[in-house]
Formats: sequence, C-alpha cells, structure tokens
Amino acid sequence: MRPLISAALLGLFALPTFAADAKLTIVKLDAFPSRIAINGIDDAPQLSLTGIRDTGKPIDLTAEAKYTVSDPKILRVDANGRVFPLANGAADITATHGAFTAKIAVAVKGTEVAQPINFANQISPVLTKLSCNSGGCHGKISGQNGFRLSLLGFEPELDYTTLLKESRGRRLMPASPDQSLFLLKGAGVVPHGGGKKMDVASEEYKLLRRWIAAGMPYGQEKDPKVAKVTVFPETRVVDRQSRQQLVVLAHYTDGTIEDVTRRAQYESNETEVATIGEAGLVQTLSMTGQAAVMVRFSGNVATFRGVVPRPGDAPKFEFPVQTVVDPHTATKWRELGISPSELATEEQFLRRVYLDITGTLPSVGVVSQYLADPSKSKRDTLIDKLLESPEYSFYFANKWADVLRVKRRGQAERASGTFSFHDWIRDSIATDKPYSEFVRDIVCAIGDETKSPATVWYKEVTTPEQFVDDVSQVFLGQRLACAQCHHHPYEKWTQDDYWGIAAYFGRVGKKTIPTAGRQNNGQNQRQSIYTKSTGGVTNKRTNKAADMKPLDGEAVTVGGDDDPRNLFVDWMVDPKNPFFAKAVANRYWAHFFGRGIVDPLDDMRATNPPSNPELLEELAKNLVENKYSLKALIKTIVKSRTYQLSSAPNEFNKSDKQSYARYYPKRLQAEVVFDAVCNVTESPSDFPGLPKDKNAPKRAIELPDESFASYFLDVLGRPQRISACECERVNEASLAMILHLLNSDEVQGKISRAGARAEKLAKDPRSDDEKVTELFLLTQAKKPTPEQLSLARENIVKHEKNKKLAYENIIWALVNSKGFLFNQ
Amino acid sequence: MFQVLGSTQRFCDGLSRRNFLQVGAFGAGLTLADSLRVQAASKAKLAKDGRPSKSMKSAIFIYLPGGPSHMDMYDVKPEAPVEFRGEFKAIDTNVSGVQICEHFPLQAKMFDKLSVIRSVTSVDEHSDSLVMTGYPDRVNKISDHPSFGSVISKIRGSDAGAVPPFVSLRGMSRGTEPGYLGVAHRPFTPGGPGNANLKLAQGVTSDRLDDRKQLLTSFDDIRRDIDTSGTMVGMDSYTERAIEMVTAGVVRNALDIKKEDPKTLERYKGIEQFLTARRLIEAGVGFVTLSYGGWDTHGQNFASLKKQLPPLDRAISNLIQDLHDRGLQDDVVTVMWGEFGRTPKVNMNAGRDHWSPVMSAMVAGGGLKMGQAVGASTAKGERPKDRAYSVPQVLSTLYGAIGVDPSQTFPNGSGRPMYIQDDRDVVKELV
Repeated sequence: MRPLISAALLGLFALPTFAADAKLTIVKLDAFPSRIAINGIDDAPQLSLTGIRDTGKPIDLTAEAKYTVSDPKILRVDANGRVFPLANGAADITATHGAFTAKIAVAVKGTEVAQPINFANQISPVLTKLSCNSGGCHGKISGQNGFRLSLLGFEPELDYTTLLKESRGRRLMPASPDQSLFLLKGAGVVPHGGGKKMDVASEEYKLLRRWIAAGMPYGQEKDPKVAKVTVFPETRVVDRQSRQQLVVLAHYTDGTIEDVTRRAQYESNETEVATIGEAGLVQTLSMTGQAAVMVRFSGNVATFRGVVPRPGDAPKFEFPVQTVVDPHTATKWRELGISPSELATEEQFLRRVYLDITGTLPSVGVVSQYLADPSKSKRDTLIDKLLESPEYSFYFANKWADVLRVKRRGQAERASGTFSFHDWIRDSIATDKPYSEFVRDIVCAIGDETKSPATVWYKEVTTPEQFVDDVSQVFLGQRLACAQCHHHPYEKWTQDDYWGIAAYFGRVGKKTIPTAGRQNNGQNQRQSIYTKSTGGVTNKRTNKAADMKPLDGEAVTVGGDDDPRNLFVDWMVDPKNPFFAKAVANRYWAHFFGRGIVDPLDDMRATNPPSNPELLEELAKNLVENKYSLKALIKTIVKSRTYQLSSAPNEFNKSDKQSYARYYPKRLQAEVVFDAVCNVTESPSDFPGLPKDKNAPKRAIELPDESFASYFLDVLGRPQRISACECERVNEASLAMILHLLNSDEVQGKISRAGARAEKLAKDPRSDDEKVTELFLLTQAKKPTPEQLSLARENIVKHEKNKKLAYENIIWALVNSKGFLFNQ
Repeated sequence: MFQVLGSTQRFCDGLSRRNFLQVGAFGAGLTLADSLRVQAASKAKLAKDGRPSKSMKSAIFIYLPGGPSHMDMYDVKPEAPVEFRGEFKAIDTNVSGVQICEHFPLQAKMFDKLSVIRSVTSVDEHSDSLVMTGYPDRVNKISDHPSFGSVISKIRGSDAGAVPPFVSLRGMSRGTEPGYLGVAHRPFTPGGPGNANLKLAQGVTSDRLDDRKQLLTSFDDIRRDIDTSGTMVGMDSYTERAIEMVTAGVVRNALDIKKEDPKTLERYKGIEQFLTARRLIEAGVGFVTLSYGGWDTHGQNFASLKKQLPPLDRAISNLIQDLHDRGLQDDVVTVMWGEFGRTPKVNMNAGRDHWSPVMSAMVAGGGLKMGQAVGASTAKGERPKDRAYSVPQVLSTLYGAIGVDPSQTFPNGSGRPMYIQDDRDVVKELV
C-alpha cells in the first residue's frame, strides 16, 4: 500500500513542486558519501545528492541527478542513486544536475566470493525490518504459534538457537534452502498468520536464502559489532511536498563502515509533516513544521530532524525581547517562514494568566481594576502578585500531587498521611523551595511519616521497579519502563541502565508502626523509612546483584553508613546533569503552552528531539542560574512576549502546532472547571469527608488526594493517579462530560440555587446590559457583541415576571460556551 | 467487519488523539460553517436516530458471579462416578452429540444457535478482572488493563452516537474499569450518577432548553480555528448529541422496559436485565455487561442450581432468540461465564468448591461458528483434555468477532504500548 499512496501523492502535487523548481538556481552540487568502499556483491550503498541554491539553502537532488559511471563493468547506479557492484575494481560515478557535477570514487572488492554472513549484524536486522520479531508477532513473550523471537532482535544468540534447533530443525533446510519453513512462511508460499512479509525476488529473501545455503553460520567471535549508527543529513530544511534521501551508515567496532539504508527501520514522530519510506526516503507533506525521523539498526538509534518551512517569502516581523525565551522562539519562526500573532488583549491576558498560574477565574472587581490600571508594567506586576497567592501553591501542588501519586485508595486510615504529604508539597511550592531540594527531600525521604511527610511517596513507590519508573519519568523525563525487560526500543537504554538505577533503592528499609485496632493491609499502617546498611536489587538480565550506576555514568559503591539515594540525587541535581533541569523546564513549559518543547513532556528520548533545542537548553540554564527556583522559571516563561501572544492565528502561522507562534487554547482541567462553575454561579461546594467549618477546602484545586467522590470531576477527566504521567489527566471532550455540563441536576442546581448569582442579578437594580456585560467579562473575558446583548435582552423580556429564569439561562449558556471552558 | 480505526501506534492517547488530529488537519483555518460541515460529515457515520452505524458490532457479557459449576451446566459427565457427576442428568440438544444439563431444556432446543467452550482455564480469584480484561486481579493491581467495554468505548470514540458506548447493568467493579485508557471510558451505569443526566434537569422544560440552545449558539462564538487539536470541534458534535440524548431519549427509552409488549415482559419476568441488555444493544450501545445470580456454591450446590438454572435458561434462550428474530445474530456477540469452574468432586456439604483448572464459557453470535461444544474436559471434569483455551484467547476471539484487532496497542502511563491482549491465539473452532 505505502508506495502506492506516496506515488499518488507525488502525482497530485507534482505540479506545484515543479512550478517552484522553475526558479531553482543551483550554485553547487555535493555528493554523500564522496568515497565508497564496497565489499561483496550484496553491498549496494545509497547516495545522497545535495544541491546548494543561490539562496544558500540546500535541496535534495538524489532522484533528479543523472549518474554516469567511468567503468560500467565495475558498477551501475539506479535512478534513485543506489550503487550496485558488478565486479571488483575502481570506478568513478559522476552525478550531473544542470551544469554542475559531483564525483564519487568507488572501490569494489570481494564480489568474486560469497562474503561470510554474521547473524547478529545481517540476519537479525532483516527480522526486525520485516517486523517478524515485533511485539505483535513472534517477538511477544509467548511467541506466536510456537515460534518465539527476542523482541526487536535484542538477543541474537537466543534467536539463532530458536531458528536452528527448535521444531526439530525443520525451520531451516540448508540442503534445499527454498524449502525451509522459515522462507516458505515469510514469503507467503505456504499460509502464514502474519501474511507475506517478503518477495522471493527481494534482497531480504536472497540474503536469508544465502545464509541458509551457507549452513546458517552465526559468525565468528572476532566479527565486529555495530558500535554506532549515523544518518546523513542529521538536520535539513526541506520544502513542503518534497523529498529528502537519507543515508544510514553502521560503524563497526573494527572501524569499518557499512551502508545500511535499506536495512534500517524508520519512524516519523510527526506524520502530518513528513513521512518516511522503507528505503530511507523522507516525504514532506503540505504542513509547515518539524518532524524527527528515528533510525534504528541493530539496537542503535540515530535521528534525522527535518524543518519544513512555509513556502514563499518569509514575512518580516519585529519581536521585542521580554525574556530569554523570545529570541529563541523568534529564530524558530524565521526558520519556518512564519510570523507570530499579535499580542493578546489585556482582557485575554488577565484571564489566561490567572487560569494558568492560579487555576482560578479573576473576579469582576479584579477585571475592572486591572483594565483601568494605566501602568505599562502591569502584566509583570500581576504575574509577581499571582505567584505569591495561595491559589498558586494549591494549583501547582495539585499538579505535583498527580505525578507524585498522592492517593489513599479510599482508605480513611491513610488520609492523615496523604493530607500531610500534600500540605508539604504545597508549602514547598508556596515558599519556593529550590526544586533540587524538593526532589531530594522526596527521593531521600527518611523517618516516620508523621514527622517526615515526604516519606508518604514511598507508600506508592514500594518496589525497585516503581522507583525507577517514577523517578525517571517524573524527574528525568525518561520513560525507562521498557528497559526493565528488554533494551529500550527507541533509546540507547539497556536493562543494565535500568537496574543500575534500581540498585539505589536496594537499601531503602521500611518499618510499619502498628496502630491498635487497624488490620494491616500492607498500605494503611503508619510507616517509617530508614536506610539499611546492606541490601541490593537483582538485575533481571544477569540474575546478579545490580551495581548502582546513574544513566551514562560509572558504577559507584556506597559505604554501609551512607544512604545511596543521596548519591543518586547528587548526580541528578548536578548542574551538568543533562536530564534533570530540562525535564522540569519542559514540564512547566508544557503547563503554560499546552505542549512541551519535547512532546510528550516526559518522553525526552534521543529519538524524540525537542522542537526547539536551544530554547529548552536556555530554560534549563536559566533554572540552574536561578538556583532551581520554580517561581523564577515561571516568570521567565510567563513574562515572555511569546506567552502573551494572542491565540488568533494570522495568515502565516495558522497551521503552527509546535513552535508557539501563537497561544494554543487549552481545555480547562476538571478541578478548574468545577471551581469556575462554583464561582460563576456563586454556589460553593463542600466535599465529603472534610470538615464543614469556614477553613475547610471549598475548592477542587485544594483537594489533597484522589479519594473525594465527585462525578463532576471524574467525568471531566480528573486522574486517579495510577501513573506518574500527566497524560493520565483527560482534557479531551467526552459525551458524558458535555452531558453533565449541559443537563445535570448538579450544574442546574448551582445555577438556580436560592441566593446564587442568577437570583442576585435578577434583583440587582443595574441595567440588564450592564449585568450581562459583566457576566461575559467574568466567564469569557470579553464584552458581548450587540447581537449577543440583544438576544440576552430578548430572553430577559420573555421572562419579565421572573427574571431569575432568564439569568439562569444566560449563565447556563455562558458556562457551556467554549470561551468559558477553554483558556485562550 | 468494520475497519479498526487507525493502525497500531505508540503515542500517548493513541487512537483518539489520532482521530482528533485528522479533524485537526482540516481544522486549521476552519470557519464555524466549515466546522459544522465537519460535524455533519462525522454524523454521516451515524444513522438518522443517532445510533452508530450498523457496521459496528456489539457485545454482551453475562457474568455469573461466584464461579458457576461447569459440571452441572454445559459440561455434564453422566458417565462419571456419582460423587463427581452430581445429581443432574444430561439431555440431548438439537445438535447431535452435544449434551447439556437437564435444567437447560430451552437452550437444548436451540443449541444450533449457541456454542460452548468446555476447556477454558482460569485463575482462582473472586474477581471479574480476568474475564472482563483478560488479566487477573493480581496483575491489574499494578498494570491496570482496561475492560473489554472500555476498549470498545475507546475505539468507538466520537462515532459512538447519542448513546454511551459502554453500559454496565451491574455497577462498577475491577472488571469494568478503564485502567490506562482513562476515566472517560468508564461504563455508564443506570442508577449511577450519570443516569439522571438523561432526563431534563430539574426545573428545565424542553421549551426552556430550546431558549438555552439559542443563547448558547450565539454566545459560543469563539473562533474554532484557534484550536488545531480538534477538541473544540469535538465538543460541538458532542453538544449536539448530548441535547439529542436528553430530548430524543434513546437511552432512557431503552432502559424503560415498560415500553415492551406485555407478552415480552412476561417472557422476561424475573430476568428483566436481559431484556434491558437487548434493548440497549438495539439502541446502539456497544457493550453491555450484566450479572445473574450467585454461584459460589460451597454448600447445597444442587439445591441452589435447581433454583437458578431454569430462569437463566429462559434468559439465554429469550435473549439469543430475540437477537435472531431481529437479524442481529451476527452483529452481537454474547458470552456467559464466571470466575472459574467448581470442584469436580462433590464435597461433604453437597457443594462444590473453587476450581480454576477448567471452566466452561457459553458463546453466541457475532458471526462465530455456532452449534458446537469446543474442547473437552477430562472424564471426571478435572482439567482440559486436549486443547486448553485461556480466558484471554476467548476474549481475543470475541474481539475478533466484533472487528477489533486484539494486537492493537494503546499507551499506558509510562508510554509503553500495551496490546489489548497479550495472549492472542483464537479459539480456532469458532472462527
């Protein structure tokens, strides 16, 4: 299917591409690689031809160039720039485009003999490329129909044994290779549950066949292994509706380099911007943006980053710098050929920053006061003020409580623990405890939970595996869970990396302090955390005690009197740590912009690069310079001009989704909508299980843990805190959610309650226009249009005898409008 | 079979985000009028009455809590010694060679419309976790796999129409939890908090709702093109459907069995839940689960079953016959089972205890091959004789029957792509 689709696309869009080509002026032609050493008849490397335009921008001309060979007996080149050896010797390839040429010197050897095959380097990657060993097929833990391969070929020795020895050896028949069940199934000659995976005429088939015919060698002990994989180019600006040929090279431990473009696996992280074919050909589509292509070969990964600018002349714009953020975003827009939206209005900004920093709507009084303030610096003043408000600490405590999994699973006995942990988090945020210390206090928490609230974290983090998963995802922005059982498929992390972190957990000791009359269920007892002088964690791969080892670091040993966790945190909070500051900077950026610079925000893989690396780098640097002050980080983000842009797109940035050329609207999260509805209707709520006095939390953002029953909050997507991922919170639309807002006794009850806002407004002597305008400002931060005003008036006239009904209707409509439910 | 939306993929939120993105791709630069057209187009997938298109198949899961005795229902052993075979006799069915318990006479007459798998292996847990999610409770305590109904809810997404995709007539349990698919995919439970939302909220008349809609249309004028995620457009289409749900009341009507013919009500007397399930499925619900009776018969097994089997027999035969009469037999797959089987040897209290090595599952419809007894237990009903099937394999077969690929993945909280089922071999005899 895939080639057909791309062919159709090419056909469809061929015209505009060539129309643009009419203006194409090339000043230089470069070939990659410029020299090739071919070894053996199967070695057919890919070329990539780059033209340099008069504007200095490069363009891929691999498929447009004409290729001639100085000695056609030695080799040939196909139209796509792939080189096929024919005989030993040397020859030059001349690539021509217009008046320009590029020369590639090629030396061919080893074609006279069949080259020895190495199972791990050559056969295993074929099984990966054809997805035989994917988790959906034979790679799953129980195999498929009695045939099991290691996931993505990370254990070639095991796969080799399986292929040769299982099923009484009938899978492979060296005497008659084509009759091997392995080939018959794979080529779909006999029925195969996974369908036909390769053609009998394909290179894959020929290689597998040759391997079987050669007696299925595993290879020699001294055979080189793949040390790294590189891709050419690493980054490139590519026009829309264009192509870019990649060349992927495997670098072996003996220094040899082999072209593996056809054998590598590819995946694009933004398939709306660019797709990638089997042969390493990137195809850009009609969307401006950036895409990263992951390249994987034999357990090694590399990444190509493509930038696809808007066609045509780049718009000119000035962008005043307000914080360190702005130069980096502006640079990215210029690169993409787009321009930023206008600055948001004061009304929009006020509502936005209130909701983003405090999770709270500004009151009518605050709105009019702010709008009347003539000060030039009132936005900055407001930001400073909001960061000192109690709402800020509650709102961000709620955010951290999600990923720190502050939950009691409905067990009343655990409430004192979760309440005090939540309180501790909130206090840390209010006092702006340096983030590095905040994390240390949690990870190294020690003592009795009644005196040391952060130890409550260890109520949900009870195993070495949970420790690694949560620490890496929450504090390092790395999703390591895959590496528990196998090499991470999209990262360099191995099982040894995983168990290296797990080992730091090995000496965490727990005591429970029984409470009379409380039956122990493992979690509901008072707990005390201490450090054991011995103890360890078993590496599941080696079945031996795992060494403590930080990511990309050396193994460490810790004396019996020390707490290993301290060493681990030392490594994390070191300003040179490449993960720690970036992870939280990205998390906070995503909070304000709705999308992380790395997205998903806690999946900071080498193969999932940031959309603006310099920006992320700058934010992390800024955080470290400010001694890990999260308030300072927020100021850097929120005081930037970039954050203060309007959400309304202009002609140039309307399809922008990743470079922040405008503010992306966000649906308000469950607790914020709940509180806003209570606020707008003037119908506060109380929550079951909390005191009813005047100090009791009346607002959902103040709730300390997950165990407060509320259908409203559940249906709007409040997380159950089952994972350390912010993605557990649902901010999309659902039918049940809309139904609840539109037509529930709960919401209607709040609107129509005696003494609520609707009744007050009905009795309020001010003019209806004035009151309706106030409601619009409160809910949507804008004034009503004349049509909206007159429609509201009509409804009020209709209910002249009972104006409360009309105000109920108006409030209902406003509460259900997107202008209310979104931060925009 | 309907096409599974999208292919397997690994990003957070997988499927529904992808669907939104597709809308979003058009969404850039949409005017309000355009977005209404997008809605209209998406509505085309729904029939006139707001039901999902008929090409979407549905499932009914009947859960027999406590673990019903396999040897006294679908796997009778008349040849076994008396302390094993128990008190009940076997009767012939209309499928030659297949016998079931004498207290299932109605099913015996229509066994060509049913199949039973007699060699299902289970785990000894009093939980609906395994039969609803494919993973036992002890696994789900850590990894939170979703209920079958939640998967249907996730896959139907915005195509679910003006009906909830997943209804539980037996409240909430581990087996109805959406796990890593997120709370949006919890079941709708009549009697639960969402139910009241189906009728007009207190003090709101339909006239007043019209007034409000008019105000909402005017006040909800934010530019849809500022949101390229598609959430706003998605909400618009839900708003329309939610209002339709309240005014047309498809689900409310489905739940109101009094609307049925008195003769039908008589047929379902005492087993009304089965009628409700049928009505919900007819209204377009994708997945209904209900439970019947109590089957943890450690003592007085036979006395208890003598009371419970006849109404259950009537329930199954009514439900399956009704689905056939409506031509829905291939569009709806039904399964009935409990947590495990019961000890083949009768204990001193005339009871049978927990027995997880083997149990039976009754399956009907969904285009599967009917009129069979698949697999067998050993002579004394102790364990699978030849081909053992695991619960996940049965579930994979049911997923396949309604057009869901069980090898599809959704990401969990740590971003790991999770297969709907890991153990995906199917019950070959049924497909």
